[in-house]
Amino acid sequence: MKRTGERAWLLEWSGDESEANAKARAAAAALRASNAPGLLDAVPAARTVLVLGGPLFDPAVLPALEADPPASAPGPVPRRHEIRFAPDGADRDEIASRCGLSPEAFVRAFTGLTFTVGFLGFSPGFAYLYGLPLAFHLPRRPSPRASVPAGSVALAGPYAGIYPGSTPGGWNILGTSSQRLFDLRGDPPFLFSPGDTVRFAL
Amino acid sequence: MTRGLAVAEPGLLTTVQDLGRPGWGAWGVPAAGALDEEALRLANRLVGNPPDAAALEITLSGPVLRAIGDLELAVVGGPFGPAPGEVLPLPDGRTLALTAGPGAVRAVVAVSGGIDVPRVLGSRSTCLSARFGGFQGRRLQKGDVLAVGAPVGPRLPGRANVPRPPAGDVVLRATPGPQEDFFDPEAAAAFWRGTYRILPESNRMGIRLAGESLGFVETAALPSEGTAMGAVQITAEGQPIVLLAERPTTGGYPKIATVAAADLGLLARTAPGRAVRFERIGFDEALRLLLEREGDVRAGSAR
Repeated sequence: MKRTGERAWLLEWSGDESEANAKARAAAAALRASNAPGLLDAVPAARTVLVLGGPLFDPAVLPALEADPPASAPGPVPRRHEIRFAPDGADRDEIASRCGLSPEAFVRAFTGLTFTVGFLGFSPGFAYLYGLPLAFHLPRRPSPRASVPAGSVALAGPYAGIYPGSTPGGWNILGTSSQRLFDLRGDPPFLFSPGDTVRFAL
Repeated sequence: MTRGLAVAEPGLLTTVQDLGRPGWGAWGVPAAGALDEEALRLANRLVGNPPDAAALEITLSGPVLRAIGDLELAVVGGPFGPAPGEVLPLPDGRTLALTAGPGAVRAVVAVSGGIDVPRVLGSRSTCLSARFGGFQGRRLQKGDVLAVGAPVGPRLPGRANVPRPPAGDVVLRATPGPQEDFFDPEAAAAFWRGTYRILPESNRMGIRLAGESLGFVETAALPSEGTAMGAVQITAEGQPIVLLAERPTTGGYPKIATVAAADLGLLARTAPGRAVRFERIGFDEALRLLLEREGDVRAGSAR
């Protein structure tokens, strides 16, 4: 366990990233469900949980949680999402050729995959989706675009994702979705939560 | 509207902020909230508000505000307006120019009854990067009219003081960061020895610093992890950024240190161009400083 400030702790898991992430998701959900006094937030990421506490929070529970995270996340049952998109992204052909496929074959393969929401970050509602085969792991673009259109379906490293709003970004853009990813007056306000599964369809 | 504040001039960057919305990090939502939390709490106490009432955070050039109804205001943080740290009565129809004094960077303007905007995800804070919360999700503009709530509690007698940046280097106490060992020992030592200038590109996401580079940082091996308030991230060019209230909730750059929570208000009050350096302290010491500061805020002043 590491510390990042006087009231913040990082639990961390090694090994395969998507397995480590599953532990992080389960540990974060367990902390949240425990209603521990003074807990301000528990943020899962690739292989960590950031725990933020107020003055009342007692970190004594954390080492055991790191050593032995729950086998599955408590809380709401993960949801399944089907996201419709148009494969019209600026990088579609380049993505496909770097994966050794025609654009049509790449899109066919992509729509056959099932992704898991590993964590959200970067901007509200931006989900890092695990589930790309190794052959589809591409580096980020050498220089980020100043503006990636909202709804862009994109890939970088082991992740796929959808840009909720127009932001700068360095991911490879495969296509566009009109699916709304958050509605702050909605309940729940966010379409995706950690642990949900996602498939893409045309 | 029986009580309100009309914006005659918005100033450079004026936003509605409260203590922020922690708890939504798992959905990528920055906590936001006032950068100078002790100034917010003290300003609210001065005008009889609960500590989490929404106020205005003002930046570099202050706004001109006109009262709708009889109001009381308190400005705490940097020296803006005629009487920083004191309660200012602002009768109906009167205008107050919050002109910046020497070295003024940020301050909180609390108004009796609090700024009454809808809560979004539990908070009235503006999230500028994602354009929600506060007043229409944005900085204030000329002509905006903000509703103000009914006054509630007793006023804090007297005045409230917060520490001003001293002459010379501003020393920020900091604990070792989660990736301090990512840097070779000479680079880490150079960081703790170094003096850094605050860049004008700093914003509510982070204070950007420039000094001797810690060398090119290769981040390919670092997976994204949650970022804490005050974390000192080192960019690819080897320069520090102190992450603040609107930082992205996760990031992949190494964090060499974390500024003690007790010193974040001081950092928020320190002007671009000023020099800062970091003093390494332990976690217990940082917690002690924080509890001491919270005691000061309860007593009405912060050393």
